[in-house]
Amino acid sequence: MSSRALSLWGGRLLTILTIAGIGVTLLPYFWMLSSSLKTSSEVFELPVRWLPREPQWSNYPAALSRGAFGVYFFNSAVVALAVMAGNLLVCSLAGYGLAKFRFPYRELSFRAILSTLMLPLEIVLVPTFLVVRGLGLVNSYGGLIIPLAVDAFGIFLMRQYIKDLPDSLIEAARLDGCSERGIFWRIILPNCKPALGALALLTFRDNWDQFLWPLIVASKDTLKTFPLGLAQMEGIDSAAYHEIMAIAVIAMIPTAVIFLFFQRAFVRGIALSGLKE
Amino acid sequence: MFQQRVGWRWPSLSLQTRLCWAGFLFVLPALLHLIVFKFYPMVEAFRLSFYKYDLMTPPVFHGVENYKTVWNNPLFHQSFWVSVKYMFGVSVPEWFLAFALALLLNRGMPGRPVIRLAYFFPIAMSQIVVALVWKFMYNPLGVVNTLLGAVGIGRINWLATEQSALPALILIGIWRGIPLFGVIYLAGLQSIPKEYHEAATVDGAGPWQSLRHVTIPLLTPTILFVMVMSLLSAMKVFLNPLVMTEGGPNGTTRVLPYFIYETAFAYHRMGEAAAASMVLFAFAFALTLIQLRLLRRGGVE
Amino acid sequence: MRRWLVACLSFVVTAALVAGSAFAQTITWWEHSNPPHNNYSKELVADWNKTHPTMQVEYEFFAMTPYFKKLSAALSTRSAADMFTVIDTLLPSFTTKEVLAPIHPEWLGYKNLDDMKKAYLPGALDGYIHDGKLYAVPMIAATFSLYLNRKHFQEAGLDPDKDYPRTWEDIGRVGQKLVKMQGSTMTREAFDFAMHSSAWTMWYIEGLTRQYGGSILDPAGKKCTANGEAGVKAMQVRSMYVHKYKISDPTVSLATNALPADDLPKGRVSMFITHAGSVAQFGPKVMEDMKVVPFPQVNPQKPVSIIYGFALAVNPHLSEAKQKQVHELIRHVVKNPKEWYDKTSYPYPSANFLELPGMDEARKTRYLDVFIGDIKTGTYVTRTAYYLEISDAMHRAMERVVLKNEDPKASLDQACKEIDSALAKP
Repeated sequence: MSSRALSLWGGRLLTILTIAGIGVTLLPYFWMLSSSLKTSSEVFELPVRWLPREPQWSNYPAALSRGAFGVYFFNSAVVALAVMAGNLLVCSLAGYGLAKFRFPYRELSFRAILSTLMLPLEIVLVPTFLVVRGLGLVNSYGGLIIPLAVDAFGIFLMRQYIKDLPDSLIEAARLDGCSERGIFWRIILPNCKPALGALALLTFRDNWDQFLWPLIVASKDTLKTFPLGLAQMEGIDSAAYHEIMAIAVIAMIPTAVIFLFFQRAFVRGIALSGLKE
Repeated sequence: MFQQRVGWRWPSLSLQTRLCWAGFLFVLPALLHLIVFKFYPMVEAFRLSFYKYDLMTPPVFHGVENYKTVWNNPLFHQSFWVSVKYMFGVSVPEWFLAFALALLLNRGMPGRPVIRLAYFFPIAMSQIVVALVWKFMYNPLGVVNTLLGAVGIGRINWLATEQSALPALILIGIWRGIPLFGVIYLAGLQSIPKEYHEAATVDGAGPWQSLRHVTIPLLTPTILFVMVMSLLSAMKVFLNPLVMTEGGPNGTTRVLPYFIYETAFAYHRMGEAAAASMVLFAFAFALTLIQLRLLRRGGVE
Repeated sequence: MRRWLVACLSFVVTAALVAGSAFAQTITWWEHSNPPHNNYSKELVADWNKTHPTMQVEYEFFAMTPYFKKLSAALSTRSAADMFTVIDTLLPSFTTKEVLAPIHPEWLGYKNLDDMKKAYLPGALDGYIHDGKLYAVPMIAATFSLYLNRKHFQEAGLDPDKDYPRTWEDIGRVGQKLVKMQGSTMTREAFDFAMHSSAWTMWYIEGLTRQYGGSILDPAGKKCTANGEAGVKAMQVRSMYVHKYKISDPTVSLATNALPADDLPKGRVSMFITHAGSVAQFGPKVMEDMKVVPFPQVNPQKPVSIIYGFALAVNPHLSEAKQKQVHELIRHVVKNPKEWYDKTSYPYPSANFLELPGMDEARKTRYLDVFIGDIKTGTYVTRTAYYLEISDAMHRAMERVVLKNEDPKASLDQACKEIDSALAKP
């Protein structure tokens, strides 16, 4: 076959694969949406129903009434935004320090910081809880937010990104008499927008659905996050799946919105960092 | 350009010393936080691994008994291997498929922004939502079986059959990981200046050769970065087995973090759980060190 | 003038603080999530708060599975609620560690423990007594009984009132007429067990084992005896509907999902064993087509069934005064067994339960006789602090036998190995 024909067929195959790939990727979303609009008996009907006979919009208010979801979503938002803010600030500070300064034990600190990425939360759950209790933060927003407010991933990301910023910019500002603090706020941060965008998105997403930590730290109903509310919807031996899916759809909206907003910056941010060690 | 600022200075110290302090101060908040909320709990956990502690009565010193018990526990070994299988089962396909995805999207394709959006959307989905929706889909009466039925494959009880439960979870891990690492690869690809490829073509290289001799060498740091991060994040996975299979059937999806959680909070053997987590930590540390060594070797020329 | 003002102010502030602290008195109550009864609990709390303005109750509830873990973590760090609901299977984990306050029957209005025992069905309190002391007050007693679908029976030419199964073998026999196949795929199971949780597995297997005269642990609770003759027979019964009678198919049932009791109302299975609370969960419309009969037996002349319950326990770190208050709250919660039953369809194990006014109606339409009957012949599951490890080991053994057709004795031998090594740990 001529190379033109080959590439033509290759192109078609690629298109088919791409579409199939998109189908597989989006199938769970479709299923989630569709199930959220079914009646409870339609959800597990045999043979499988792809679309509800009649969209049950009432599932949404019904699901929301199963728990104080207004409060739960609010709490999840508070936690996600606060932790995001904490990370953005502290990780950029630390990233800058690690990237552009030299001080004794710098590399050791960096590796120690990296090592905290290897800890699943469950391992240190009880000791961390004891610390939080010692600080009097149990059952409070502080307890929910502060332990999560700094993560090594953010430090790593910002360090890599800032490393690539030209030293000359900083030198020039120093010569002009700018304070270190000023350099950070006026030179470094404005030039970090893509990395900050990426960090914001990832941190928000990871903390939007915090489950284990709020479970242990919070017992007041007014402090729960929405995954706790979701888990509560399952009783000992039954669960209203159509309603659970409705909550899941609602839960996806903020992350999806932020993602759409940031996705440009996200790609560029990951692009220019973390790649040249 | 910049105003003359009378900032806070240490006039008696040299510039270098001042910069030294400045750098340290920048890192200090993060370090303090990590010391209180990560390092100290870790040290505590290490200390607890030498005690018998049932969460409700005071800890009792126990020497290395916990490590012996953990080592002699066949369930621990089962969990360890389940974790290893999961880690590599998810990561290795991710390395290749994410790369393929990035290559695909790097070509000029009509409607590319839309396609990119579609492929990267899974990044936006919350973990717990992923677990619940997929649990739904894997139900014996659910979508996956229906689709397979259309192709003539019989009904499989995905999450309740020993051979299929872990692969089912691995599939979800890959589904979620490909977009994330695909983005990283894509970004890497896009940062390779076009001149390199053009030069290669001028030299007579076809697409495959261009790939092998230009793209991959330039992407080595990215590739190794993806390798490290994918293994580490797969190691920590815990929510999916918890929500979807509770570690079953017959322990075939009980990953090590799940074993640790159960031992500590259900069986009330915190000391043993701490010992098991130290083993996990040592394993992760060693694995990462090995990879970082490789990464250092893979510099960009 | 100033001094006078200051004195006034400090008086006001102190008074406010004192009043405030009187106002600030709260009792916290934790429960696990169980939608039918949580709503009634909330009502009870609202009632109490109306009549106790200076001692308000704060009610919290959590998803079932993580609840125990949260409770353990909280008890370990002394941050648990003042009163919490505990499921009886997990009670020994707490009583053996002395993290529960002993209940004072005198504060509940009884003369002493023996007096209190008389107010309950025989054996109802046994599940909550450790070392001679009572550690929790029952809220409900639930038992497992056999539910069957009348319509399916009638369609198969059977009379649900006469032909219902009394023994496990009966289920197999009757089931052969009820199962529906399409080619080699089962489209409707005749009978199945729930498979989604080790707690349910233990309830079935302990029930069966005891019916065969055996037990899971030896009387001292130090060695596993589940792989004895009785245990093996129990496991055989557990798996025979899949392998021998072929009226069950785990791939048809959602019982491997967290929806075991959903199969029955949706008509995917004709017979299912579940607890009394399902009556309320299914709803009257579904119950029209159902019939409830006693828990199946090995030997109907010597019936043995299984009960479990939820009970209210008290935090041991409270002052004596506060503990008294909590006892008041307990009295308030359990004071109306009929209302418990009406709202949640869970029976209450008080001795006079069946004779309460208004119960006649329930006996006729809601199978109360069946449930109380099963409660009377019921035993609580084995009391051991290692309950979760034991049930996980048994659950895995069950999975091996049912899903892989492994030999029951071999499977139980392995389970006993795991259990013995757990029991051996100090």
